[in-house]
This record gives sequence, structure tokens and C-alpha cells, in this order.
Amino acid sequence: MLELQQVHKTYTTPQGPLKVLDDVSLRLAPGQSLALMGESGSGKSTLLHLAAGLDLPDQGSITLAGQNVSTLAESDRAKLRREKLGLVFQQFHLVPSLTVIDNLRLQARLANRDDTDWTAYLIARLGLEGLEKRYPEQLSGGQQQRLAIGRALAPRPPLLLADEPTGNLDETTAGEVLELLLSLVRETQCALLVVTHSPQVAAPLDRCLRLRHGQLINTEL
Amino acid sequence: MSLSRLQNFRLLLAFTATLMLYGCSSEESTSTADTGFAGLGQEADGFQYAKPNQLLTFPTDHAAHPDYRIEWWYLTANLEDASGEPLGLQWTLFRQALMPPSERPAPTPWAADQLWMAHMAISQGEQHEVAERFGRSHSQADLSVHQDSQAGIISSPFHAWLDDWQLKASGEAGSDAFSPLTLTAYSGEDESRFGYSLTLTAQGPLVLHGQQGFSQKAANGQGSMYYSQPFWQIDGNVTLNGETKAVNGRGWLDREWSSQLLDARQSGWDWLSLHFNDGHKLMAFQLRGGGDNTDQEQGADYRSGTWITPQGEPTPLANTDFIMTPLATSAVAGRDIPTRWRLEVPSASVDINVEAPYANRWMTTSVPYWEGEVEISDRASGEPLGEGYLEMTGY
Amino acid sequence: MIKALPTVLATLLAHYRRHPGQLAMLLLGLWVASALWSGIQAINATARDSYARADAMFDTQLDQLERRDGAPLTRADYHALRQAGLPVSPMLEGEVVTQDGTRLTLIGIDPLTLANNNPLAQADSSGSLTDFMTAPWQTRAAPDALTATTTLANGKALPPLVLAPAIPPDTLIMDIAAAARLLQSGEEITRLVAAPGALAEAPAGFTLTRATRIATPGQLTESFHLNLTALGLLAWVVGLFIVQAALGLALEQRLGMLRTLRVLGVSGRSLVLALSVELLLLGLIGAAAGIASGVWLARLLLPDVAATLGSLYGAGVGRELNLPWHYWVGGLAVSLGGLLLAGGGVLWRAARLNTLELGQMQAWRSGYRRQLMLMSIGGAFVAGVALALYGWLRFQPPGDGLVAGFALVAALLLASALWLPPLLALVLKVLTHLARRRPLVHWALADMQLQLPKISLAMMALLIALATNLGVGSMVGGFRLTFLEWLDQRLVAPLYLNAPAEQYTDIDAWLADHPDVSERLLTRRSEAILESIITPKGSRALGTPIELYGITPGESLTPHWPLLATQQDRDTAWADFSHGAAFVNEQLATAENLSPGDQLNLRAPGVSETLTIAATYPDYGNPSGQVLMASPQLAARFNAPPSSMGVVLHLNADVDALREALTERFGLGSDALSDQREIKRIATEIFERTFTITRALNVLTLAVAALALLASLLAQARSRRQQLAPLWALGVPRAQLAQLSLVQLGGAALVTGLLALPLGIAITWSLVAIINVAAFGWRLPLHLFPWEMAVTLATAVAVALLSAALPALRFWRASPRTLLAEEANQ
Repeated sequence: MLELQQVHKTYTTPQGPLKVLDDVSLRLAPGQSLALMGESGSGKSTLLHLAAGLDLPDQGSITLAGQNVSTLAESDRAKLRREKLGLVFQQFHLVPSLTVIDNLRLQARLANRDDTDWTAYLIARLGLEGLEKRYPEQLSGGQQQRLAIGRALAPRPPLLLADEPTGNLDETTAGEVLELLLSLVRETQCALLVVTHSPQVAAPLDRCLRLRHGQLINTEL
Repeated sequence: MSLSRLQNFRLLLAFTATLMLYGCSSEESTSTADTGFAGLGQEADGFQYAKPNQLLTFPTDHAAHPDYRIEWWYLTANLEDASGEPLGLQWTLFRQALMPPSERPAPTPWAADQLWMAHMAISQGEQHEVAERFGRSHSQADLSVHQDSQAGIISSPFHAWLDDWQLKASGEAGSDAFSPLTLTAYSGEDESRFGYSLTLTAQGPLVLHGQQGFSQKAANGQGSMYYSQPFWQIDGNVTLNGETKAVNGRGWLDREWSSQLLDARQSGWDWLSLHFNDGHKLMAFQLRGGGDNTDQEQGADYRSGTWITPQGEPTPLANTDFIMTPLATSAVAGRDIPTRWRLEVPSASVDINVEAPYANRWMTTSVPYWEGEVEISDRASGEPLGEGYLEMTGY
Repeated sequence: MIKALPTVLATLLAHYRRHPGQLAMLLLGLWVASALWSGIQAINATARDSYARADAMFDTQLDQLERRDGAPLTRADYHALRQAGLPVSPMLEGEVVTQDGTRLTLIGIDPLTLANNNPLAQADSSGSLTDFMTAPWQTRAAPDALTATTTLANGKALPPLVLAPAIPPDTLIMDIAAAARLLQSGEEITRLVAAPGALAEAPAGFTLTRATRIATPGQLTESFHLNLTALGLLAWVVGLFIVQAALGLALEQRLGMLRTLRVLGVSGRSLVLALSVELLLLGLIGAAAGIASGVWLARLLLPDVAATLGSLYGAGVGRELNLPWHYWVGGLAVSLGGLLLAGGGVLWRAARLNTLELGQMQAWRSGYRRQLMLMSIGGAFVAGVALALYGWLRFQPPGDGLVAGFALVAALLLASALWLPPLLALVLKVLTHLARRRPLVHWALADMQLQLPKISLAMMALLIALATNLGVGSMVGGFRLTFLEWLDQRLVAPLYLNAPAEQYTDIDAWLADHPDVSERLLTRRSEAILESIITPKGSRALGTPIELYGITPGESLTPHWPLLATQQDRDTAWADFSHGAAFVNEQLATAENLSPGDQLNLRAPGVSETLTIAATYPDYGNPSGQVLMASPQLAARFNAPPSSMGVVLHLNADVDALREALTERFGLGSDALSDQREIKRIATEIFERTFTITRALNVLTLAVAALALLASLLAQARSRRQQLAPLWALGVPRAQLAQLSLVQLGGAALVTGLLALPLGIAITWSLVAIINVAAFGWRLPLHLFPWEMAVTLATAVAVALLSAALPALRFWRASPRTLLAEEANQ
């Protein structure tokens, strides 16, 4: 589903070049889940962004759903994201101008895969019934992140990328949200890559990798 | 009279200085320590000077003398109306040369070398009406077409005018005679209209003052050419407050011209023209300051006069021949003006009180002065002796 | 607490260090508002000073005499009148050109006979009467008329210059003798004047015009300046929109900081005080910059304004600014007042700040709904005021209500501006609903709703600028059409002759025998007092001075001469006209509420006539009331001298040959004959100049509105990018997002532009039907120009796209890394 081969990434900073990823390779099979752990600044978010085609590696190749991301034009990468990827951010990134239901269906519509029944099911599964007409800022943090998960899964992407999905939530809510995320991923047989520093998040996943100073320190389990 | 005219000249000069210098009061411009009143004491290079032994010729000398700096035709009159109420009037035409003869501009349209000013006043009781006019002319203007000049003098037949204010011979055309004359001057509209239309008939000869018409004005010898016609019988109509009434009485006309009249130290003068009921006339003036040849700041007063018999025989009066003493002052226009005098002329056995029955004869012209009727009475007996005019400047 | 003020102030101001764009926008708004306003006020103040000087001088303070036979006055006339006891004074007036090409009015006076309380006497500075009256004479002039050279183009030298600040601009005063030499006027003089009321009546052979009858340039130009002031006010308001937007943004972003300060123990009052000090500080900087640029702007525009006023009203206005002290104080006060107006809301909100309340989107969203509601209600209220004004104006006689007319326009603009955001919100809501199936469009519309509060003020400013632009543009365009057509109708002869009055009889006789000439159109001119009018409702006493103008109602003129209203029909009107009936111009008809059939009692010295009005006619550009009569009638009844003659030629006649023949035969000056094309060219030139300023100010206002929009967009560019980044992450290409931004704003501008169309038409209508009638006395037909409207719409969209282009371009060119960083930082 997702394959990174010898990926290198260096950022130019005012303090000089900063090596963020150094020869990183990993694979994620369809339906598989993987946790990527590491300290702040270890490069895990960059890895996620590269995986999503939001940025390009300096060296190495990234293959997503059979396509080499590094060789795609930007518009094709955007198309790939629309259709093959679900993204969940720590900060939710809901669209404040859209209602709950419109937020939920936004990516599905963009991908032209809007499915009313599935959306309705998701609303029910996410516990957002009766809140469809509300605006994101009128929801609690947990509800917002559930909505973000729903938005990512609405087009039934084969791969879901999540960046600290529970980082902004309290412990109880985080547990509930994580549980919901995993069960939905299982239902949709979607591959999952979660970037987190929380062992609780990593624990239920199929695999766990650790990133330190831009390098994977324990290879494939 | 002449000195008061002088004062008026100063008015003219001060007018010159003040018309366009607003904010500069006339008091300031008249109180000059070293050039006399209104600059009349200035040296006047380029002009012709009045000197003794210049013989006067008539009618030529009735006309203007543009080579001299200043000149006037000055009439005062003591009249009464049909009901016997006394009435005084004044009409004066002043001329001033704007520049010496050598600097005269070419006579293009409007170009002027002569500036004219005329004053008229009518006084009766507490009422005192004053009007003033200005004009310009070029001394080379053709006066035979008198519409070519706003102001001017023709000697024969005599005609002096500024606009519609006119003094002219009413005898046959071509006559050289200086009598009879008609005088017309009006001012104002409707209810405030005043003015006169008079006939002047001379009852005696012209009188030359000083030495054959040279009248010394200061101890240093400077002076003016000065003659008078003090014997006018006047008849006519006076309009006051829009109403016209018949009047008659006596008048006195002064003619004087000069280029420098005052000593630089002289600050003002008191001048009298008196008609005695017995037919005598008296002209007397004192210039305050400049009466000696010292270098004192002020100098003594300088006095001069003429005692005239009913036949017109003049006797010049020198500095020591008479005494003028102010006896009482009145508050007029914010100043103290002597309105009662004692005049002593021992040689003519004259010791009289000269008193202005009305103090408010202030001339509110561009440069103000006092000019009004006086009554004379014997100092000892109080017997009324006649009437006249008094002019005072520099107060 | 006061001791803490510097700290609080420094903390508050620190915000601008991080957001210099907001500071720039705030200052820009203040700068623009006070620059345009103070620029116009500078022009007005200078013009007023010029008028005051002119008013104080001769024309308006002195009665004037002219010869009844139209012949020039001479020195002999003057002396004759003086010797008749009339207190008149001569004046010579002419134009001199200095070596550097400056044209100056030269006035020669006689200080001895000029009414001696005339300010001329005071207009002086130094020097004595003798110096003024004797060679080398003196040239008195105000500092703004002093030229570098005192040598004239013809080689003659002006007398030495003397400074006299009270003398009108571009005017030289000197003794009449010196003036006569320079102007080579010989025995002729230009006019005879007298102190007001000094002459009981006109002397025989002369006409007397009373000082009070001579309209002052100040009165004539009042409406022009009101116009300018209204435009200045408009610019001021538009500038304040920017200020308000910037202040609002700055406050919103500092709410957290304000709360923190409150929590740290800064009292609400200190906070408000600190904010006030901040406002004052910014206000002073903005106002100072604004006034400085305003003066610069005024200096730039003044020559055009002066030329306009000169050609329209004959009013002389200095080309150098002349600003009294109260101008500076007033400019500062207006700028600060505007700032207070715009910042008052901010202070109020800061004062009511709830320490515990958190900056919630939610509160804000409902707050905006409430704001929209208030705007709708406010708009409705102002619209009601507009309606009331309109109703009131309907019952006023035409020609009244200049101020009410401007108030109506202001109310229309304000009501529409207030309604614009609710309207946009409504449109967006409906469209959002309709576009549910198109996710990106749907998003874009929904997002636009969110942006609306931030750009609505700028959109309001844009609406006002657009509508005014369209309104004024249509008015000017309509005026041009009408005016040119009217010129064509009135100028029927190919050749016009302007000769000394006494020559017309000979010329007329000569032309009558000329084979090429088909008709001679002799005009005559005189003046009279309109004593009273008799209408079916009764008679009214007036005493207004009017012009009498005589034309020759022949076959070349009558078919074309435009008439507005007649008693029966055109033919009857012209027939009556030839037999002694009068036409009145629209100005007079409007001012005195006259219509055909009414009667006029006219009085001129020695003449008293009653005329029936047969028709009214348009008389554009004439500031005074005019009564038109047939030339022979005017000559017979009012003894009016000839003033010009139109020469109509047969087809194929040689105009130039006739011109030469006339010039040679009668020894005419070079400017005695003008052809139609020349006159039209001059008239059109004057016309164009009249509206140069209006157009310039309009464009400036539009530019300000565009700036306001750009500033608003730039101010929120950062948060916009933060909102767009997740969308990009979700798979919407950057280019598409950038395009969407453009479309969003273009669409909003299009709606604004569409609203501006009816509003602009309403303004045009107010201008032509109310304001012009009140200001100038003539009403123009309402012309609509589809092209202008299309341009307005295009301008709206173009302005929006231009403003949106920079942020969109920056977004489109932003590297993914930047977007990511912003996304990650959020």
C-alpha cells in the first residue's frame, strides 16, 4: 500500500541544513496498521507529510497505492490524496465555514465518492447524530476529532494517515477516539499509519516503528 | 487765514501719507519734531521760492502757480439767515505740486503733477457739516476745455473748480474782474444734503500782506506770497439738512502760495481774520515755535498780522506789535482747544476778547483741525465789536 | 495605574511590530481619509480667500455705470459726470502678459475719487499716495500674483512691485495713469464706479448696476464647492472604512492580549486609556501625513479648479494655496474626529471586555449575525430617511433643496452600503444551498460567508465608490450629450462677429447686400430689473437683476433653437416672440417658478415694460437669469445695444473670403470674427475642464476603495492560508485554490457592482433632477449609458481581482513547505 525506499529529506534552516530523514525505508501492506513513534523533532511528521505527497523527498522513492509519488505532478499528487488517502491531523483542521455534515462529506465529494448511506452510517458510528447542522466550533474537542476521522474515511480511502490524532484530547476522550478510529479502520479494511509519541496509541496497532534523529532505529518487526 | 491753510496743507500731506497707511493715526503723522507740521517744514528743492520784492500781477496771480509747492483759495464767511440767526461757512481749494517742475511727467491721459483737495463747511448753532474732495490734474492740461481737467484755475474770467465745486466770475465773459464771483458747492443726498450757492461782491480792494505780498513765516526769513480780499458782501442760498434758506453777510478770501512755509521747529498755528463793525479788518496769526533764530528745540512763537482800514490800507504787524493770549479752552474731539482769546494790538488801540460761540467746529477731514466763527468784544466794556473766523492747528 | 500606562501602551503597540501590515493599513486609511478631505478643503479655503479678496475689491462693492449706447467710456464722460456733481471714479481694466507668459489682470484706479473706505485704500502696505500717483508709480499685488519678472511680453516694464496681500489673485493694481500707459488705452476707460447707493439714479445716457445686484463669485460658486466638499466627505468616509477595518482586526487579534492584561491587574479604564492614547498617536501621525499630502494634492489640482471656476463663473482663484490657520486645525480635527468615530466601537468593546470569556468562534458567529441584523435595520432606517427626503423634495419648488439633495444622495449611499453585507450574506446562503452537489463551489461559498465580515467594510466602500462613479459619470456623459446638441442648435451660423457697437449698422447694411449672405442674426444685450411677475395665482414683487438678450428669429434659427416648454406649440411661441413676447431661460424659470403664459414687469432706466412669457429654453452654463426677446423688439423697447452678429451664408459660399472682406472693409481686430467650429471648440474645452476635478476625485475615491479591499485581504492573508492549507492537504491543487479565491472575491464584487448599478442610476437622477437644478438652475434629461454600467461592473470585478491577485499569487507560489509549516503551526 505504502512503500518508502531510502528516503532522505533535508530542510534549509537559518541555522544551516537540517537533516530530518536519513535513509528511511518502510512498507505498509493493505489493511495493515503501523505506529510511527519518536520524540518531537525526530522527523515523524515529515515522514507522514512525504507519505501523503504533501512534500517530496530529496532522495529515495515513495510508492503510494502503486504510484511513485516523487514522479507525479502536483495536480496528480493532489488527485492521489483526494482519492487514496484519508488524513487526520492533531489540530482536526475542520473547515469552519461548513456544517458538520458538509465537513464530513467534503473529501468524499471532492473524490466524487459521496455515498449517502455510508455517510449516515459514519454519522451514527461517530456519535454525531443530531449535530449535522452545527458548525465545527460548536462541537467539543472529541466530537471535532471524530468528525475529522469521519471526513477522512468518508471516501473509503485505502490508506489513512493520522498525525497525533489524540494529541489535543484529554485521556478519556483520547481512548474513545482511538478505539473508534481503529474499529472503523478495521471495518473499512483501510491501511493505517499513525504518527504519535504515545505508547497507548501505538500499542493496539499491528506494528510499531521508532524514529530518532531521522533514522528508524528498530527495523521491521 | 494762511496758516490755517497751511495746516490744511499739512492735512493734505498727511493724507498723502495716511491714505494708504492705515493703522497709522493722523496724530502720529502730524507730530513731527524736525520737519514741522506734516512735513511742511521740509526743504523743497527744485521748487520756486517765495521771496520779498516779487511783484504780484492780476489777474494772472489769481490762477495757479504750479512751480510752487502749495497754494490755496480760501474763503470764510460770517452770514446770517432771514431770521437773523448767524451762520458760518468755509470753502477752500488746495493745490499741491506732486513734484518739482523739472520732474513733471509727460501729459499722457491721467498723468498728474498737481493734486487738489477741497474742503467745505457750514456751521449754524451746534450744527457743523463738513465735506472733502480730492482731484488730480496736469499743469499742462488745456484748461480752455475744462472737461479735460478734474480741477483747475483760470485767471480770466476767473474760474476755480474741483468737480462741481466751483468759484467763478459771474460778470461778462472776458472780464478781468475778480468780482462778482459765484460759489457753488454741495454734498450729500436728500435729508443730509448741504451746500451753498452764493454771489460774492467785493466792497473794497485786494489787500497785500507783509512786504507787497511777501509774508514772512519764520524768523529765518522763509515765507509765502499772500494777499486777501477781505471785503466780500455775500448773498445767496444755503442748504442745510435738505432745506434751503436765503443768507447774506461778509466774507474773506485768502490767496497764498509757497514752497516752504514753516520752520522745521514750528508745530502749529493760531490764525484770525476779523471784521470790525467799524469797517476795519484784522488778520493775525502766531506760529507756535520758530520765532527766533536760535537753535533751541522749540523756539519762540512767531507772530505776524495786518491791520486794514475800511478803505483797504494795510499796516503790517510784526512779532512785537500784538499779543495773543489764550484765556479758556474747550474739550473738542478729545483735545483741549483754546476757544477764547485775548488779542492786544496797542498800535491800533485794540484790546479785545475773541470767543467762539460754539466749540464744536472740528473739521473731520482727512487731517483734522479746528475752524470756526468767532465773535469779538471790547475787553474793557464787553461791547460787541464784530465777528470773524479762527483757525487752529497742531493741537 | 497611570504609571503602568507606558508598559500597557508598549505591550499594545508590540502587536504592530509583529503585524506591520495592520499598522500600515491603519495609517493608510487615516492618510487617505485626511489627504483627500484636507486636499479639497485646501482648495476650498484658497478659493474662498480669493473670493473674499475679490468681493472686498471693486466689482461687488461698487455700483457701476455703463454707457447706454454701448460705446466705451471716456475721460470726458468721467469729467462731465464729476462736474455734474456725481461721485464716480474711473477704472481701467485690462490684461497684461509678463515675459514668462503669466496673464495678469491689470486694474488702474484713481485713489483720489475711489470711495475712500474702499478696501483698496487698505489693500496697501506701504508707500505714500505721492509714490502711488507719480512716476515711476507702483504695482500693488498680492504675494501670489508676484511674478519673477516685471517685464511684460511687449517689452514694457511694470512699475516697481509693492506687496499688498488683500488684492485678489492674479491682479495688479496701479494708478490709472500708469495703467493707461501700459494698456495704451488713450482716453478710454473701462468702467465708472461709485460707492454703493451714492448715485440715486443712473445719469441720462448711462445704465447703473447696483453693487448688491452683482452676484459675488462666492455665491455663484457655492454649489461648485459644495460639490467638492461632498466628494471630499465621500473620500473621508471611504478612508474611515479602512481605518475601521484595520482597528477591528487589530483589536480582534489582541483580544487575548487584552484579557491577559486584565487578568494581570490592568484596570478596564487604564486599558481604554491606553487604547485611546494609541489611537491618538496613530491619528496624529496619519493626520499629519494626510494633511501634508492633501496640500500636495490641492496644489496639483488647483490650477484645474482655478481654470474651471474662471471659465464657469469668471471667478478668479489664486493658483497658489493660501491657507488660513483654521484650515490646519480643522484638518487635524476632522482626521482625529474620523478616527474617533471609527475607533469608538473598538474602545467600547475593549471597555466591555469580559475577562473570563474566551475568544470563541461561536460567539463571533452569532455576533456577526446580530451585526447583519443591525445593518439591515439601520439600512432600512436610512432608506426611510432617503424616502422622506425624496417626498419632501417633491413638494419643494424646483431649484430648492441643494443640501437636501446631497443629503438624499448620502442617505441612498449609506442605506445601500448598510444593506450590502446582509445582501451578500443572503446571496451566499442561497447559493451555498444550491451548490450542495459541487463540493468545491460549496466550500468556496461557505468559506466566503466566513470571510464576509472581514471584507464587508471594504465592499461597502467599493459599493459607494462604484455607485458615485457611475452616478457622476452618467451625469457628466448626459450633460455632454445634451450640451453638445444644444450648442449645435444654438450655433447655427458659420461665422460670428463681435465688433464695436457703433459699427453694426454699417456692417449690417454691407452684409445685406453681400450675395453670399443669406441671413444676419444680430444679437443685442442689456440689463433690467425684474420688478414683478404676474401669474394666474397672482403677482409677486421681485426686484431681481436679469440679462436681456436679443436674437433674430429668422428661418435659420427658429427651427433649431431648443425650447423646453411653450404655451401652445413651437410655431405659436415663435410667432408671439417675433411680436414682442419673451422667452425666459430655464434658470430664471426655475428660480422664480415661471411658466409660459406668465407676465414679467421689467424696469430699466427710463423704461418699464410688461412682457408675456411664450416659452422657456435651456441655457446651460449661464449663471444668471436671462430674458430672451427678438432683437428689434429689444432695441425698440429697451434701447439695447448690439452685442454680436451671426452671419448665415448660402450653401457653398466662401467663409474665409467673407471673413477677409469684412476684416478689411471695417478694420476689424483679429478676434472680431470667430467661426462656429472655434466657438464650439472653446465651449467644449470649458465643458471638459469643468468636470476634470470631479472625475479626478472620483477615480481617486475608487482607488481608495480598491486600497481598502486590498488592505483587508492582505490583513487576513495569513489566516486565509491557514484555512486553505488543510484543503490542499485533502487533495485540492494549489492552483485551483488560488483560482477559487479569485472567483470568490470576483463574485462578491460582481454582486456589489450589480447593486451599484441601480444605486448609481439613483445618484445620477438625484444629480440631474435635484442637485443640478438647485445648483445651476438647469435640469438635464436622465441619460443612461449601458456602456458605463458595463464598465462599472467590470471595474468592480477588476478592482476585486486586482486586490485578490496578490494574496492569491502568494498562496499559489507558496512552497508546500510554507503551507505545511503554517498548517503544522496552527
